[in-house]
Amino acid sequence: MRGGNGKPGIARVGGKWRVCLTIVLFWVAGSRRAAGAGWSERWDSDPGYLNPIDLEISPGGSRLYVVCQESNEVRVVDTRTHEVIGRVKVGLKPEAIALSPDGKTLYVSNEHSDSVTEIDARSLRVRGVLKTGWGPVGLTTDRTGKFLYVANTLENDVSIINLATGHQVKRVETSRFPEYMDLSRSGNHIYVSNLIARLGPYYRPPVSEVTVINTRKQMVSERISVPGVIELRHIAQVPRSAGGYLLIPFMRPKNLNALIQIPQGWYLTHGMAVIWPRHSGGRPRARVTEVLLDDIDHYYADGTGAAVTPNGDWALITAASANVVSIINVARLNRLLQQIPVNDPEALADRLDSARHFVARRLPTGRDPTAVAVSPDNHYAYITNRLDDSISVVNLRSLRIVSTIDLGGPKEITVLRRGEQLFHDARFCYEGQFACVTCHPHGGLSNGLTWSFETPKLGHDLVQNRTLRSIAGTSPFNWNGMNPNLEVQDGPRTEMYIFRSQGFSPSEVRDLTSFVRSLRLPPDPYDDPGGDLTPAQRRGRAIFFRTKTNDGRLIPLHDRCYYCHAPLTHYTSRVQMNVGTATPHDTIQSFDVPQLQGVWMRAPYLHNGEALTLEEIWTKFNAHNQHGFTSDMNKAQLNDLVEFLKTL
Amino acid sequence: MRLRLVQSLRIATLLILAAACGAAAPLPPLYTQWINYTPANGFPPGEVYCVAPDGNRVWAGTANGLVLLENGRVKKVFTTADGLAGDAVMSVAVDKMTGDVWVGALGGLSRYSGGRFKNYTNLSSGLANDLVYGVAVQGRYVWVATAAGVNRFDTYSGDWSIWNETNAPFNEPWCYGIAVTKKKVYVAAWGGGVLVYDLAGHYWKPYTDPDHSMEIVLYRNEGLIHNIVSGIAYNPELHMFWASTYFGLSGFDGRNWHNYLTKDSGLASNFISAVQSRGSEVWACTQKGLSEFDYKTKIWVTYRPVNWRALDAAKAVKDGPGEIIMSWPDGKKRKIETPTSLAHNYILNVAFQGKDIWVATAQGLSHGIVEPQQEKKLYDSFTNGR
Repeated sequence: MRGGNGKPGIARVGGKWRVCLTIVLFWVAGSRRAAGAGWSERWDSDPGYLNPIDLEISPGGSRLYVVCQESNEVRVVDTRTHEVIGRVKVGLKPEAIALSPDGKTLYVSNEHSDSVTEIDARSLRVRGVLKTGWGPVGLTTDRTGKFLYVANTLENDVSIINLATGHQVKRVETSRFPEYMDLSRSGNHIYVSNLIARLGPYYRPPVSEVTVINTRKQMVSERISVPGVIELRHIAQVPRSAGGYLLIPFMRPKNLNALIQIPQGWYLTHGMAVIWPRHSGGRPRARVTEVLLDDIDHYYADGTGAAVTPNGDWALITAASANVVSIINVARLNRLLQQIPVNDPEALADRLDSARHFVARRLPTGRDPTAVAVSPDNHYAYITNRLDDSISVVNLRSLRIVSTIDLGGPKEITVLRRGEQLFHDARFCYEGQFACVTCHPHGGLSNGLTWSFETPKLGHDLVQNRTLRSIAGTSPFNWNGMNPNLEVQDGPRTEMYIFRSQGFSPSEVRDLTSFVRSLRLPPDPYDDPGGDLTPAQRRGRAIFFRTKTNDGRLIPLHDRCYYCHAPLTHYTSRVQMNVGTATPHDTIQSFDVPQLQGVWMRAPYLHNGEALTLEEIWTKFNAHNQHGFTSDMNKAQLNDLVEFLKTL
Repeated sequence: MRLRLVQSLRIATLLILAAACGAAAPLPPLYTQWINYTPANGFPPGEVYCVAPDGNRVWAGTANGLVLLENGRVKKVFTTADGLAGDAVMSVAVDKMTGDVWVGALGGLSRYSGGRFKNYTNLSSGLANDLVYGVAVQGRYVWVATAAGVNRFDTYSGDWSIWNETNAPFNEPWCYGIAVTKKKVYVAAWGGGVLVYDLAGHYWKPYTDPDHSMEIVLYRNEGLIHNIVSGIAYNPELHMFWASTYFGLSGFDGRNWHNYLTKDSGLASNFISAVQSRGSEVWACTQKGLSEFDYKTKIWVTYRPVNWRALDAAKAVKDGPGEIIMSWPDGKKRKIETPTSLAHNYILNVAFQGKDIWVATAQGLSHGIVEPQQEKKLYDSFTNGR
């Protein structure tokens, strides 16, 4: 590996002593934990925010069960008095809630505990904790209430748990980052929306997936492709009498265009997928179409929450970064949908004049409205305002916000809180098109797309979106390393190249960067809490730190893994390196060395996202050993190296 | 008259033996009706390498794609154009828990789930090699036999493990077949014999020709008949694994080997491409027909077209007659003609669907059905010497 000037860079930065020190300190430190911190650690004095992120309404409509992500609890609200009447502690970072069919049991997914808490809905007594896969979020029971389905976001599958025994009976594979799920009205199917698009051919529009699970067979019965979109969110079902389809909010990127080349401004839209599943109506395959929720001159960024009134009159979609709920007249939407030719399902997918036909009202909510639930009598909708610790109450007869329920969070706003609010606020962007969270959803995740941002040359310098998780201490930033710190990255750079609009004030930049620095990777499931590595991981570690080839030749310092990916500095040397991956579309040859922590969940790889898997980095894009000396390795060694990297 | 008497006595003895063994040792089924799938009814041309029943569906791996039969009709032929890793499909395994279908192809491993293929290749995953000959599902794990060793894929964590000549006692890592139980994994290695992995102990145990040569064993039941093993099957009822080689059939009961050659058994040919087992039956897929060996009654039954010698690789039977050759433990044989036949004599694999069998041949897929009345008539004719 060579520096940007084509010369080995090791001589400049310390020679063998540095290498030896690096290895010794790494082994002493034992693992990546030297650089990381636990999820429970807080970066400033946290006054105890709640962050309500999901809610369920009791069958009779008298209670709201609100999942509070930050305080690790469920709070219960009386819908008549709007008072908090109960609370119960759950696991770490609860994300979603489901009710048993009889309404007697609550199930809450705990993303960072890899579990579901089972709660008596009346007494709020915890009955038990069910083990799930990694990173559980969405969940639902089947119609009988005998089985619980839980989406494991970090393993891309769904655990099916027998509630009589509490044990997982099987898992079924989804697409990437399955986040939300919903039981069909017939009870025969479960729909799963996947946040991240499928890993697909390079430089092709993304394709997202709604996975359909047959609850009788407990098998995947269909994988519905939703073309051209990412970040599928909550699922709402329009009753058969009103159309019989699903509504799922999405983001529709134009990442195959250089964004700055759009003469009218930005072009990154938000809308909803309209899906008639295969089993509804005996179709040979699902019918999918897409409709935008944005207006021509103002956008409603990050559609997230979705619900339909039981009578099918209204649908509600929250725009989390616009702090708005759009209320949709379903009958008018149906009229528009009838105009879409069957053979051209994306006919309206880019039309910014659609929403005016069916959006009856845009109502301002609190900050970061994430979920919505409708009362059984069709009269009220309740919206969780995650970053305000409140719930907006919508009267569905007057179509107005009639009340805001204070869930009892602190009134003090800390630096981190302000930063998080800014991170989720699209008003800084041209026409409100997006916020930071739009491209870095779910706690700073990468949305997995390749973009063309910062060049006047159309189609040049395609850049893979990186995660923001645990980037503190990994400066410089940007694929070319041009931004020396987060203040530049999130301030002037974002103003100039990303938002193209009003920039942040200095204090806002400070708050925002504080929040970005606080973003952490989830617990690494590949890492044994006891610190032990598996035999394969140990062999992989030896390869990572090897100094000789398989036939005993000395590997030059700059061709060793740990030279560029130094363990003590988050596995990045924090310089730019030419690893032979530049393409004719790149205007530079050397790229910022990325950190490796959490690399297992960052696919695709390389600066432009060309490598779809870790293996491809070396099998397809390292023909001349510029990205470390790897050509002597056999397949088993490469597998071992990958196993070790997954522990970082 | 004397011949009839001897034959009757033989059958009577057999029936007495069968009765002595109890209901677990019935006479082997006789397949008298064959339905063939060839290009004439929409099936792709060429070899059929494997077949896997899946409820009312049947998956067949061919030289020209993966075929899905539903209710006796060709529903779809999947190829690389549909996302399959390779057009030549060597193995198929259905995960009964998830419904996913795992496809081993010359081009990689494919997972068919919910109507979509997801591929794993040597370059993009931990797959040892893109020539995938065998695949088997064991709970959350998928075991894969490739031309460069054995893989285990953890469908939960995504981890890949490889065993080959560098970390396991593989004389040759070219693996042709794989079979799994809850406790063990059985691998057929071409030139490397049989390897058995103990899941609890995490170790491999090799079984090779004791002569250490590329000739067959010197003594009949000395050990694995030959190191060129083309297929492997485990029989839970007999507690035996069976290995097909290009030089005969071997079975191992944990203590003793049981080897079979054409010269001293009813095996149609020593050149065996695959072996499968069901109940007390062992099915050897040979180049000269499909041979079934009933381990308890020691009866051999071979199925093939009547005109099998005239068939060549480019020709399949359409509606020609077939023949059943029954070989008794005392070495006597009897040949019976049936109106229908297997599509070809060159048998590449076989699978079971209830009492029915599905046979992969060099020129088409055959569905074998027992006709109870016809079966009884045939056995009666043996008894009565009609």
